[in-house]
Amino acid sequence: MPRGWWTRRSNYFWYIVREFTSLPLALWLLWFLLEIRRAQDGPSGYHPHSSLGFVIFSVIVLLFALYHSVTFLSLAGAILHFNVADRPIPSQLIVLSQFAAWAAASVVVGFVLIYFAR
Amino acid sequence: MTATKRITIKATRFDPDKDEKPRLQTYEIPFSDDSMVVLDALNYIKGHVDGSLSYRWSCRMGICGSCGMMVDGVPKLTCNAFLRDHWPRPITVEPLNNFPVIRDLVIDMDDFMHKLKAIKPWVIRKQPVPLGGGAFVQTTAQIDEFRQFSQCINCMLCYAACPVYGLNNEFLGPAAIALARRYNVDSRDEGLGQRLPVLADAEGVWECSFVGECSVVCPKGVDPAKAIQQTKLDTTMRFVLPFGNRD
Repeated sequence: MPRGWWTRRSNYFWYIVREFTSLPLALWLLWFLLEIRRAQDGPSGYHPHSSLGFVIFSVIVLLFALYHSVTFLSLAGAILHFNVADRPIPSQLIVLSQFAAWAAASVVVGFVLIYFAR
Repeated sequence: MTATKRITIKATRFDPDKDEKPRLQTYEIPFSDDSMVVLDALNYIKGHVDGSLSYRWSCRMGICGSCGMMVDGVPKLTCNAFLRDHWPRPITVEPLNNFPVIRDLVIDMDDFMHKLKAIKPWVIRKQPVPLGGGAFVQTTAQIDEFRQFSQCINCMLCYAACPVYGLNNEFLGPAAIALARRYNVDSRDEGLGQRLPVLADAEGVWECSFVGECSVVCPKGVDPAKAIQQTKLDTTMRFVLPFGNRD
């Protein structure tokens, strides 16, 4: 395989982008673990990291996370295979259910974070 | 009377006994009919211009899977790649990616043949059924479970499109796994336990990182990427489920 194989076709390129998004996501989550550790001293001693550089990094990581999530969930129709009354559930319905579950989980997590932070 | 159009074909030439590396040879041929495909162009070259050009073909109708080649960098059956989609640009025809080349456009498929044998692509029964035992009865729904995967014609386009196989040819690969699934989900088959060690091996389904290009290039709509991901799910479920669910 030539070194630049992933630049030869758009599908290869977007596949590499999908895989690459895991890296900044992992770095951000490592930081998040450190923040949780810092927060254990209580609200008085906790000052969240809010420099402009970090906010920009977080926004970029959010875009990566959204891209990774959307591409991952879109593939669920190919992975999951269920039959109801001897008939397979259409893959579009499976994908839709994944996005619905994602939206519901986001609402629950968002509610918990906002409610308990008050 | 209108002059016949002409089209340029650049075909890979390689004789391992004489050449250090493959080279492209250019041929200009008449493009007389809009229904002409790349395979017709190669046949014209072989019949009228250069009889030494080597390539595989047989049925000319997308059934035998023999004439797979890289057409302008994309794995295609040359019997299904129309010249009209490329004209007036020249067309580059190369042997399928990721395989050793025997000569010109002919690839060595031995690696796939070994992998195909390893997944035991036939119906396996724990207890042999005697010939007089009657027919296996299957419902339409049971046939639909494996019909898509049974369409594979072993054309090797999926292997040529798979960068995972290109980087590590120990990978079992898309077609072999799709064919394994074809039998694993067949209600007549009881051979999953025999195929699983090959499928769940480090070079089996888990080597696949779901590029998905195998399904894009498949000329028969087999969707090997789906077969691989579903097999991943099956192997995982068998690992986490109680022992009674493994055979």
